[in-house]
Amino acid sequence: MLAFIWIASMIPGILLNLQSNTIDFDAVAYRTGVILAEDPGWPSSPPWEFYGDNQKYEISRFGMAIAKDSPGVLSQDKVNRFFCSSFMYPDDYQKWAIFGDYPYRFNISVKDIDGGTGQSVGDVLPDRYGYIRRLVKIKGTSNTSIGSAYFVAHKYINNTITAIPSDFNVTRHEFSILINNTKLREEQKSPAYQIDPTRDQIIINITDLRSTIFPGYNPGYIPSIDRSSVNISLTSIKVYKLDGGTLSMVRTFDTPYIDGSSTPKAPPVIVQDNISLIINPRIFDIMQTGYSNVYLNLTFEMQDHAVPPNPLNSSFLNNTLTTPFDYNYHPANVTQPQLRDAVMEVAVW
Amino acid sequence: MARLNDDAQWIILMGFLVSFSLFFLALIINQSTVVGQSTAESVIEFPKNDIRDISHVIKEHAEKNGKIDDRVYHDIINLSIQREGAVVNYTLNTQYYQRLDVFNHSLIHYNNGVTTYSENWTSE
Amino acid sequence: MVNSGGQLYTIEGVAAGLIMLLTAYLVVGATSVYTPGDAHISDMQLEVLGSDALAMMDTPPNSSVTESPLQQIIETDDGSRFRNLFLNYTNVSGYGPKHDIQFSASYTYEAPDTTITSPPINSSRNLTGGEHAVRVTKWVIVNKKLPPLSADPPENRAVLVEVHLWRD
Repeated sequence: MLAFIWIASMIPGILLNLQSNTIDFDAVAYRTGVILAEDPGWPSSPPWEFYGDNQKYEISRFGMAIAKDSPGVLSQDKVNRFFCSSFMYPDDYQKWAIFGDYPYRFNISVKDIDGGTGQSVGDVLPDRYGYIRRLVKIKGTSNTSIGSAYFVAHKYINNTITAIPSDFNVTRHEFSILINNTKLREEQKSPAYQIDPTRDQIIINITDLRSTIFPGYNPGYIPSIDRSSVNISLTSIKVYKLDGGTLSMVRTFDTPYIDGSSTPKAPPVIVQDNISLIINPRIFDIMQTGYSNVYLNLTFEMQDHAVPPNPLNSSFLNNTLTTPFDYNYHPANVTQPQLRDAVMEVAVW
Repeated sequence: MARLNDDAQWIILMGFLVSFSLFFLALIINQSTVVGQSTAESVIEFPKNDIRDISHVIKEHAEKNGKIDDRVYHDIINLSIQREGAVVNYTLNTQYYQRLDVFNHSLIHYNNGVTTYSENWTSE
Repeated sequence: MVNSGGQLYTIEGVAAGLIMLLTAYLVVGATSVYTPGDAHISDMQLEVLGSDALAMMDTPPNSSVTESPLQQIIETDDGSRFRNLFLNYTNVSGYGPKHDIQFSASYTYEAPDTTITSPPINSSRNLTGGEHAVRVTKWVIVNKKLPPLSADPPENRAVLVEVHLWRD
């Protein structure tokens, strides 16, 4: 009898759990939506998305917002890392996004409306579930394409002298790109529009290499040239950092994408026409370049295999005597980060 | 009176048991109302968006020295009281260190009678 | 000496009966507690969606655009653009339940004689008062003549955009 009374008095408790969970699902969905859409996650520096699969247990909370002060603006890098298959469903997400002891099942998705893509993680939806929909923006990456028009306009190639063939002769072919982190931080304070190489990927495309080998080619002075027989070799990409007036080489950048290839190749490498540098924010973060100038120096070498040899040495791409290419907020230099519309949906059951 | 009659102890024990289970049930009832109310309702009642919006509009509009236009400030205060039922206050405290070093400390204050929020902010 | 053994069983029986009754009452009562809660949940979802939509409309797409779509809408009284953008955001399709959302939007400003005026922006349906609507607001700074017929030049003003939204 005592046991019966005891069990009977437990029944409402059990039912209450069932009851409160249907309500709880919406609340948990809401909470998860807020955490993911309005919080940048923890740790913040280096941010959680930099943690590799081996250190993922140091993450304490997911969050896709770019900064605490700009809720609803998501970082592309964080979104990609969040949906990365190296996180286990449901355990990892439960621990760092859903929270609580109850073994919730859920489905989280981010649909990029402007980009037309979607990513999701979780189970197939049942009939009834707690739900929240958040409208967000995804901050796109900035990028630049440096081509022949730009080379000419900024005198990155020596095409002004056309009379004396020897003037074409430039022995060094070194192209340098400046990323002035102090200026990038000061000229745009709002994190939603800031170019922040330590948090967002930047892309630098250098194109038209083949067609600009002999930029000053003038048929009146030089009878013929054979561009296709010249091997353009990218010998190195060195990364320099200017700190307190001293310029020091920090590392080399070994993952350029050559001629539209889908896998990066370490220099030295033969280039036909173009180079893409996709620079991961982790590189800048590891170098601790928060406020210093970073120079990327690309060194090229030319080997002429033409028979007969081309009558001149190339005056190819070289800005050691002029100014480095500045990765800044000028729309003519750099395509600025765009905010794209997206919708985040969280379903919990 | 050869030996003590302990039959009544059962009754007392039962009394305890019943009162404990009643207490337990009361606890559950109490919690059930809390759960029902506090989830969705509290989300609606807590003026997170209002506060964030006020703070955002002030920070966006403030100049580098932390000042905001009188007309705009006036609008914000009056419309807040009339339409949102909230008292909003922005105070700017400028401190000079050695003539050239200026520090602007601002205080954004929000109170709608239930929720009070204050934020310290420094304009750059 | 009276044997109290029978009393023990009686009391126990009564207590157990009481507890069972109470249990039954609680089980029945428990469900009714939550019915109002459910209504709040859909309100909450609607409110989140509405304020998100306004926040997104108040975010310029990149740094070279200085005014957000919402600021432009208020400054040029472009009600149809508001309607397109807002419905576009609120009815955006995902896997979740379809939102057939109606809205009624206005902005509020203070006239020079300190009266508060709320001209309408646009609405997908008139608000009759019978709807179960939630209200979301957004502060916007606009450079505009307020009231529109004022003789003074346009100046920066803070206006409060208010949207009532509800489901059909």
